[in-house]
Amino acid sequence: MNGLYSLRRADPSVRLGTVLFLLLLGYSYVFAFLMVRHWAGLTPSTVSSVYVPSPQLEESHMEMHSQSTTQPLDFSSLAHAQHQVDTDLLIQDSHIHIMIYAIVAGLETLIILGLEWGRAWRNIVITAAFVSGGLDFAGQWLMKAGIGGFAWLTILSGWTMATVYLAVLAGTLVALWPRHRTQERTA
Amino acid sequence: MNRSLSWAAAALPFLMGASALLHITPTVVLKAQADVIRETVPGAAQYFAKTVKIGRDDLTRLRTSADFTPEDPDVKFYYGTGADGAVRGVVLFPQVNTQHGPLEVGLTMAPDGTVQNVIVTKATVETKPWVLEALRSGFTRSFAGMRFGDDPTRALAGVDRKALGPMPYYLAEVTTEAVKRGLAFYGILYAAQGQP
Repeated sequence: MNGLYSLRRADPSVRLGTVLFLLLLGYSYVFAFLMVRHWAGLTPSTVSSVYVPSPQLEESHMEMHSQSTTQPLDFSSLAHAQHQVDTDLLIQDSHIHIMIYAIVAGLETLIILGLEWGRAWRNIVITAAFVSGGLDFAGQWLMKAGIGGFAWLTILSGWTMATVYLAVLAGTLVALWPRHRTQERTA
Repeated sequence: MNRSLSWAAAALPFLMGASALLHITPTVVLKAQADVIRETVPGAAQYFAKTVKIGRDDLTRLRTSADFTPEDPDVKFYYGTGADGAVRGVVLFPQVNTQHGPLEVGLTMAPDGTVQNVIVTKATVETKPWVLEALRSGFTRSFAGMRFGDDPTRALAGVDRKALGPMPYYLAEVTTEAVKRGLAFYGILYAAQGQP
């Protein structure tokens, strides 16, 4: 047996709980996707605009007198007020999200250990589950430090998290598929 | 089987903890800026956006008159002009950042330099109910007619703090602070320059 236990041979209540957990997690990911799309967008430029700080007032670089420019107003530029994550909010988000990422990665690991995958594949997926959560916020903090190019890191981490989830869900459904289990019992 | 059940039992507190810890307060738009401009400066033939980059002399005036230092070096004013080119009204959106998140106000100034309209345009999921409760007291109508140099806290004089409750009253105070900053922006960065 590969792994710590066999999910397919586990008590029906364990299998039921595992599938329901993954489905509910997927349900929450749908809304997580919608929230990210709404507040941050899905491209590096929109994501970096949420995190890279706006120009701050620095007296040493200021002119003596105020300068003004006037342009015809384009109402479409006001349609969506740019959502900005400031440092205080990012600290709050990091504290909550990184903890939850760790808990979700830990629970996914518990499931992976019962899927009887080969050791190498198992370790790759477990590592991806934990590292993607860390890199997600590493990217956000690097953008907050003014390095907007790291938006790709946050985006890539998000897609990696989704891929890990889909791999675990697929592995679980395949392992618990009734036909698969019947064949095993026959054998 | 026992081992599997043990794993499941161990995971349960983590799941419960994860759901209890979620506490995110994103900002919510109560009124779109474009709607505030269109509704409070109606019938303008054309609308303009004027961006003022604050200079050191005006920064000193802002600190003296309103006792605050802006975070953003640029301040935007939106105004509409009639067919004759006369300004029909000026709108700006001063913001105050609190420990509960940002609160943004849409402040419309009439052509004579007095406050025409005040509306809260942005709050957070957490503060929105308190903001709405504060607005229902009608205190924002008391800003009408004030001009740069007046004390906006006079608008709170008619508010019953006990009846309104501590948090709605606090948000009314934050709104008043935003109006105070907006009046300073208008008086120092817009009107003092004597032009649209």
